[in-house]
Amino acid sequence: MRVGIPHFGNVYVAIKAMARGLGATDKDLVIPPPMTQRTLDLGVKYSPTEACLPYKLTLGSLIEACDLGADTLAQARGTGICRLGYYARGQEQMLRDLGYNVHFITVDISHHKTASFMKLIRDMTTNVSWQEIISTFFFGIGKLAAIDKVEKVVQKIRAVEMEKGMANRIYREAIKAIDDASDSREVKRIAKEYMDMLCNIPKNPQADPVKVAIVGEIYVVIEPFSNMDIEMELGKLGVEVHRTMTLSRWVKYSLFLNYLGIDEWREVHRLAKPYLDHDVGGDGWESVGEKVLYTRKGYDGLVHLAPFTCMPEIVAQNIMPSTKEDIPVLAVICDEQMAKQGMLTRLEAFVDLLKFRRRRRRDGRKVCNVG
Amino acid sequence: MIKVGIPRALLYYQYYPMWKSFFETLGAEVVVSPLTNKAILNSGVSRTVADTCLPVKLFMGHVVSLIDKCDYIFAPTVISLGRKAYNCSKIIGLPNMTRALIPECPMILAPEINLEKWRYHVYQNIYKLGSCFTSSPLKIKKAVEEAWESNLAYRSKMSDEGITCPEAINRMCQINQQLYSNCNPSPLLTIAVIGHPYVLYDDYLNHRLISRLQSMGVKILVPEMVSEDELDIAAKKMVGTPHWSFETDIVGAGEYYLEAKVDGIINLSVFGCGPDSMMVDFVKHRARELGVPFLYLSLDEHASEGGLITRLEAFLDMIKWGEKTCV
Repeated sequence: MRVGIPHFGNVYVAIKAMARGLGATDKDLVIPPPMTQRTLDLGVKYSPTEACLPYKLTLGSLIEACDLGADTLAQARGTGICRLGYYARGQEQMLRDLGYNVHFITVDISHHKTASFMKLIRDMTTNVSWQEIISTFFFGIGKLAAIDKVEKVVQKIRAVEMEKGMANRIYREAIKAIDDASDSREVKRIAKEYMDMLCNIPKNPQADPVKVAIVGEIYVVIEPFSNMDIEMELGKLGVEVHRTMTLSRWVKYSLFLNYLGIDEWREVHRLAKPYLDHDVGGDGWESVGEKVLYTRKGYDGLVHLAPFTCMPEIVAQNIMPSTKEDIPVLAVICDEQMAKQGMLTRLEAFVDLLKFRRRRRRDGRKVCNVG
Repeated sequence: MIKVGIPRALLYYQYYPMWKSFFETLGAEVVVSPLTNKAILNSGVSRTVADTCLPVKLFMGHVVSLIDKCDYIFAPTVISLGRKAYNCSKIIGLPNMTRALIPECPMILAPEINLEKWRYHVYQNIYKLGSCFTSSPLKIKKAVEEAWESNLAYRSKMSDEGITCPEAINRMCQINQQLYSNCNPSPLLTIAVIGHPYVLYDDYLNHRLISRLQSMGVKILVPEMVSEDELDIAAKKMVGTPHWSFETDIVGAGEYYLEAKVDGIINLSVFGCGPDSMMVDFVKHRARELGVPFLYLSLDEHASEGGLITRLEAFLDMIKWGEKTCV
């Protein structure tokens, strides 16, 4: 059995660690090559026209995994409100039609998430005790958390570094080093080392970065290929980026703490209530709430990422302009037609607007109402 | 008398008789927005974000047309209509979107209907809705019973007599509706038109597709002509229990009519419909397996009538030509 997974941020690092920890060889796990235009083209060619971008990208990624010899593919499933629930079904049908003899193993991410994860690992391994499964599981998650920690620092440093691109280079090295690490103590040490390294990068003393929060649909927010590295581009323009949604946070709460009644979004949902009073699936409710949250926290602007025709985010997009919180929101709709230059122009204009507003506010004059 | 406005869009086609008898038993007057026209569509389009789906844009247009004509707008929050089955995000978020997009609209009555939760929750919400009109619990109970009766009558009328939603609404409620006469004595072809009721029966949206097909000598079959149980069974065969309630109409009817050996299937969809974008593919796949001609029509506010007619004619010609060569 050779298991292939689609790309989703740094999730491959965690899965690789778990597979190794459970005694799988490198042959048993097929990690597709990093996503490229080819991945997207493959996905677009074989998906229903109006499917959303994450569907197309994961399909492209899975096709590339199949080409490398994967015969079992992992994908999420669920009875959610958005399209995610039918990803595995649709993709399996398409891959069969294309002549790949594959079968899908799915992880239920709407009900009984943890049990579903654990059962999956248990089914795929033989003669491994529960204790070992749980400890490797935490090892994998620990790697994700370490990467996310480093990333939080990078998002701040990018805006103020003297030599543009340096923080990013270190971040890439950090991912690679964490990926290669073989025990959790080493992971912690590496993360700390790289964070120190990042903090010691020469910084521009005159820099006064504007603060932007990124909200939206989880896949396009987390996977840099799908949003054309928007965080890096914002960093280049001197913007300090913040993003609540990270993979390690999702795992930590959805798989464990939610069962103990701790809801990471409680505050955000409470803030969204006056405008949207219940879950609409996906991350739509959270997007509306985060707009309120970040306005209160004093952020300068918001970038709202959504795949084209994403149902929950359309609800959020329709509601957001009418909230009384006054913060500029740039809606970036991600799909295969997106072009880098067009996006950069929009980002530049947006950042100019934010700087202008900030100057106005500091001067004490009335801020003109642009949004 | 209190006037309750019901926009002639989205869930109107499935539940109008039920809502009407509920509100009328409670002593309210029901006002329905006019048939869709250009002005309604445009006012909806101008208020929503561009990539919102067409039916939601249309809904907003209908709400705008009801401003000043009623005291309340009725737009329920229909979250779930069965175990582990939800509705599309946009239907769930509809009242909130309406409030955000049309600030001047009358107060929205938005009872939450969520059958995922326990029954009492739904009863409570309906009671709360009823108490906007009367303080007597008995009256509300009676209204609910009446409403449920007419809903059952409506469903069985359609599946027993084989008529479309607007015809059934017309017979039950005597209201201005577009009508179709399915009385062609010797139809040349039988074609199943599958799609959501709010797309199939809005003649402005689909450029009179149904009557057009009928005048071309085609017998039309629609999802509502199959009883709900049969739809469920057929849908289960194709994709298991669909987790969007209203997609049972699409996959269930698709499978049912494919098995019934119709001459062709036309799927009428709208641009930007999330659930359809996934589910239609399963029907298309099955149709290809069985060798049944399948036409996918996607409508949006730019769709031109000429293009639609050309595609319909080509599709019918293809079916007829295929039959000739078989003989």
